[in-house]
Amino acid sequence: MKIGLVTDSPADLPLDLAENYGIEVIPAILIIEGQEYIDGVDITREQFYARLPAMRRHPTTAAPSPLDFAARYQKLLANGCEHIISIHTAEKLTSLPNFARNAARDFNGRVTVLESGSLTMGTGFQVLAAAEAIEQGLGLKSVLEKIHSTRQRVRVAAALDTMDYLRRSGRVPAAITTIGGLLSIKPVVELREGAVKPLTAARTTRQATSALLEFLLNLGPLERLAILHTNAEARAREFLDLLLQSKNRRNIPPEIRLLNVTSLIGAHLGPNGLGFAAVKKELI
Amino acid sequence: MMRKSFDGLAVKELVEAGLTWLRTNQQTVNALNVFPVPDGDTGTNMLLTMTSAYNEISNLGHHNAGQMVAAVAQGALMGARGNSGVILSQLWRGFARALHGKEVIDASALAAAFAEARDTAYKGVVRPVEGTILTVSKDIATEAQKAAQETDDPIEVLRRCVRAADESVQRTPEFLPVLKQASVVDSGGKGLFFILEGMLRYLDGESLESPLISVQPLSAMMLENAMEDVEEGQDWEVVVDFRPGKEFELPTFYSRLEQIGTSIQVGEGEGIYRMHIHTPLEKRYEPIDYIMQIGTITKVAMENLLAQMEDIEGRAETSIELANVEPGQIAVVTVSPGSGISRIFASLGVAAIVSGGQTMNPSTKDILDAFENLPTDKIIILPNNKNIILAANQAKEVTVKQVHVVPSRNVPQGLAAMLHLNPDGDLEKVAEKMTKAIDNVVTGEITVATRTVEIDGVNVKEGQVIALLNGKLAVSSDSLEHACLEFLEKANAGKYELVTLFYGEDLKNLEANRIADLVRERYPALEVEVQEGGQPHYQFIISIE
Repeated sequence: MKIGLVTDSPADLPLDLAENYGIEVIPAILIIEGQEYIDGVDITREQFYARLPAMRRHPTTAAPSPLDFAARYQKLLANGCEHIISIHTAEKLTSLPNFARNAARDFNGRVTVLESGSLTMGTGFQVLAAAEAIEQGLGLKSVLEKIHSTRQRVRVAAALDTMDYLRRSGRVPAAITTIGGLLSIKPVVELREGAVKPLTAARTTRQATSALLEFLLNLGPLERLAILHTNAEARAREFLDLLLQSKNRRNIPPEIRLLNVTSLIGAHLGPNGLGFAAVKKELI
Repeated sequence: MMRKSFDGLAVKELVEAGLTWLRTNQQTVNALNVFPVPDGDTGTNMLLTMTSAYNEISNLGHHNAGQMVAAVAQGALMGARGNSGVILSQLWRGFARALHGKEVIDASALAAAFAEARDTAYKGVVRPVEGTILTVSKDIATEAQKAAQETDDPIEVLRRCVRAADESVQRTPEFLPVLKQASVVDSGGKGLFFILEGMLRYLDGESLESPLISVQPLSAMMLENAMEDVEEGQDWEVVVDFRPGKEFELPTFYSRLEQIGTSIQVGEGEGIYRMHIHTPLEKRYEPIDYIMQIGTITKVAMENLLAQMEDIEGRAETSIELANVEPGQIAVVTVSPGSGISRIFASLGVAAIVSGGQTMNPSTKDILDAFENLPTDKIIILPNNKNIILAANQAKEVTVKQVHVVPSRNVPQGLAAMLHLNPDGDLEKVAEKMTKAIDNVVTGEITVATRTVEIDGVNVKEGQVIALLNGKLAVSSDSLEHACLEFLEKANAGKYELVTLFYGEDLKNLEANRIADLVRERYPALEVEVQEGGQPHYQFIISIE
């Protein structure tokens, strides 16, 4: 059975992989100072982060039109797919899964919509696992199991340069953002099931980086890993070096991607943030 | 008449005598402060501990000696302040344990009690240091043992113990080089000696009210302690420097001053005398008039203590929002020396604040009350001062709640620990994480030297600005800005990322920011943050990370 895959641009799936596997990526819409931009088309991530600190109003996102979803599904079916799996960024963070579900109704059960519970490559890795399983010729049930298993093992964490953007976004409980209302604090947070959970807080970039590293290394053997940043490539490379020098480096998969993270998330985290998305190895 | 034993009522009288004599000699003990920084005065801490001990028995009429001593120990435990106060309370605890069930205290019971007191006190300290109150308690116990074999007169045993304590105190500089350097004896040991000597003086029918007249070295006089106890009605502090005339006679001088006021101290250095006294409003010029008759006045300073205290209290009143803790969550109690620092701790999620710090050490009970008032059983305490860690440990022993002491020795360490608080985590694991975080930060404390001394290889003159690096004297300088910059150099600040300056209550925001700008100029790569600390005596507390 030929299975098609659809995801959204905040899943941060690298373009080469999307093309390689024929995955349809629906771009999110960014609203910056009252104007609409298509993520990655009208505005690059570099441009977005460069403008972010000067934005007077906090940027927001809008879901693409349901027609866009329907058009992608139609296209894949027309190309011979018998079933479609549409995997999207956590519904606690966006309305993308809901739009997808609405669009899927018109396809008589041929489109399965999944909500990843995660974001950026935390979603992207679930799509990738699905793509690999499809390529191996697995059936729909097995592919869905692969996605589910990946979803269980995915971990996303970030070390933010400042609490300001998180506070401005209003997306996190006040209990978290009011921490260190007086001192400048660099929070280290985990993003799980669409919710922000504080891991620890640091006062300096180095402290925050090493806390993030410790958390990553404590996850044990990893199947997949991406280092994420919000326009802080130098910081991400430094983190990668630390990782490769650590004594637990054998836990780290051979292929590690460095990604300038989705603007949708970046708007809440602020520039110069560092993070990762990882999938823990399956325990045999 | 020879007394063969002490009953409960006799114990009560003796405790009161020990307390009174300690109070009379409080300033002498306080003056034995080795370090040139304004920190918790040993005499005051021991006195507050003894006062709490006596308050526990002031209304009791037990004839049973064991019961009476047990009550003393309980009072001392609750009132313990500072390291010396805590050790004193441990001594009482051991003393009471040995006397449990005893109707009366005879010579051999007294010796046994001193022995148990020594053992309990030693066990209460993780790393016992010789040349301190512990050594003195050991020498007392040894002498008591010997004496009890030679006489069955408990007074004689006590007399020999007092002598042994005196000699032991004199020997303390042989154990502790810092004492020798500063040419003083150990203050805690001296306090213990005064308590026992007071008991003996009472039995001998000697006065307990007037101190043995003593003149201290000028540098040992603490004159700028705004938090000192103000006796009712004695609102004015008068300090007079003078050159005495030919007729000057110390005992006469003393007794005349006693008619005018309280808290009398006399210091001498290079022919200049300094007189310190507290007087009521209407008598504030009397010491000056009197001293003009007997010598030449070179300097007069006069301060309204009550107004100063109100000022300090007024500043502390701004409200602080503390973390709401649910039952089952972890609550953090912190000791804070200033309102600004309290606010910062609150913003990091502290659930209760005990005021105190360098010069005012909170008692075991103050800390215990904070524990008891929290709606949860899981508590972490940050003492933020090396002189409060013991009292925190003691409060932990007393409460039924689960308490972990994260032994922060200063404010920056406490703040570094707070960043790792997870109220919903496992108490033990969170405490461990917080304890580990203490070492993530380098601490500086900038203050004015209270005495002239050479310590840790640094020469310090009274009145100079000094900087402590992780608790050790590192810099002395004539200006605040130089002290700060030199300190940062010593601390290798260039290697780090962030310097936070917490400025004290004596410093204006503008001045703090001016110095911060100098730091930024010197270290362009460093991030420099300025925060209002509000702590007394310390112009800056600095954290480097």
